[in-house]
Amino acid sequence: MTKKERRKAIIIFAVIALVFLIASFLTASNVPKTETVQEVMRDAVLHDSNKVMLLGRAVNPGLLSGVIVSGILIVFALICRLFVIPRFKIVPGRLQMFLETVVSLFDNMAKGSSKINRVLGAYIFAAGAYIFTGTLFELLGVQAVTTEGLSISLPAPLSDINGAIMMGCLSYLFIMSGGVAGNGLKGIGKTLKEYSLPISLSFRLFGALLSGALVTELVYYYSSLSYVLPVFVGVLFTLLHALIQAYVLTMLTSLFYGQVSDDTPPPPKEKKAKKTGRKNKVKDQTDKKAA
Amino acid sequence: MTGVPLNIDWQQIMLHLLNFTILFGALWILLYKPVKDFIAKREKYYEDIDQKAQDNLKASETERDEYKARISQLDQEIRAEKEKAREDIDKVTSQRIQEARDEAEQILNDAKAEAERQKEKIITSAQKEISDMVTEATEKLALEQSASDAFDQFLDAAERTERG
Repeated sequence: MTKKERRKAIIIFAVIALVFLIASFLTASNVPKTETVQEVMRDAVLHDSNKVMLLGRAVNPGLLSGVIVSGILIVFALICRLFVIPRFKIVPGRLQMFLETVVSLFDNMAKGSSKINRVLGAYIFAAGAYIFTGTLFELLGVQAVTTEGLSISLPAPLSDINGAIMMGCLSYLFIMSGGVAGNGLKGIGKTLKEYSLPISLSFRLFGALLSGALVTELVYYYSSLSYVLPVFVGVLFTLLHALIQAYVLTMLTSLFYGQVSDDTPPPPKEKKAKKTGRKNKVKDQTDKKAA
Repeated sequence: MTGVPLNIDWQQIMLHLLNFTILFGALWILLYKPVKDFIAKREKYYEDIDQKAQDNLKASETERDEYKARISQLDQEIRAEKEKAREDIDKVTSQRIQEARDEAEQILNDAKAEAERQKEKIITSAQKEISDMVTEATEKLALEQSASDAFDQFLDAAERTERG
């Protein structure tokens, strides 16, 4: 691109941005807000009032987000399976390289963690894809209508406490299944030792994604904060969360899975010399010398 | 669900679980497994190429060793042939030398015999000549002595006359 073309592109971009800015001022509605910021943020945590209909049942918006994200991922996988994977070549193209890199990443993580890794790789791949895509889904701002007739932007699926608990507990159960596969009933005992794991996994996800959702809600609640700032907020609280939380959960799951499925016996502990016995021996020797 | 903190809803947890399980199954079957299979296939493809290259290398090395062995065998054969040829040459040469020596000795003996014969012949002829010469000289001497004795007697008489 020449200097002249670059300048032209920048001018066009600035004009489009200006048009959108003016349009946003012109289309501002004067309808008073039905919820205060406190209510909005409380609802983001507790989902008291803003529920959406799914299969004839009022559910938290996070569940609807989860279904949509799953749908997007399944459609993407289906397209890849039908049109991309059959055309895979020995020397890969860009999309093939991307798919192979992602699959290899989780596969290597699973292989590095445990000897029993047939399902582990697939599980952490699915969990990682779900967390990453689900968190990025928040950026799209897909609108849904609540049961009360209000319009809401769909949040990340795991910012819903129910979704986070599901992911944390399922990962824990999956780790336990690895323990059973590697050590039989002893593996259950090994997994139960880490009793705090489902809570920590669940609430880590919930806390991280909820904080992102709350900051986003806060920013978008006020019109004045809705210019430029969302760019940074989106990167800081959504893109980074998507990467970090996907990595953390998959890494922890594979780590604990490898730990509980490891069937190598622990090294024998060295016997410590009894301090009291030694003291008595020294005392006896001193007495003899004195005598 | 009043009384449950954070409005935790077990039914929604189950729905989330159902949703994720479907996603897990679909991603495993549609994406993860085929891509992994392809990666494994490609690894096998390169392993096969590598194996083939290794086999070729091994075959080449075996062939090279065979050729080396054959070359060394040929070298040994050539060396043996050379040795044999040298021995033959030495044998022929020594035979020739012996023959030459024998011939030379024969020639020398013949020459000696001839020389002896010649010598004998010369001596014989010389003796004959000498005897002839002696005879002739004796004859001459005998003749010459009688004349000189008469002259001497004359001279002696003349001398005594003069003194006396």
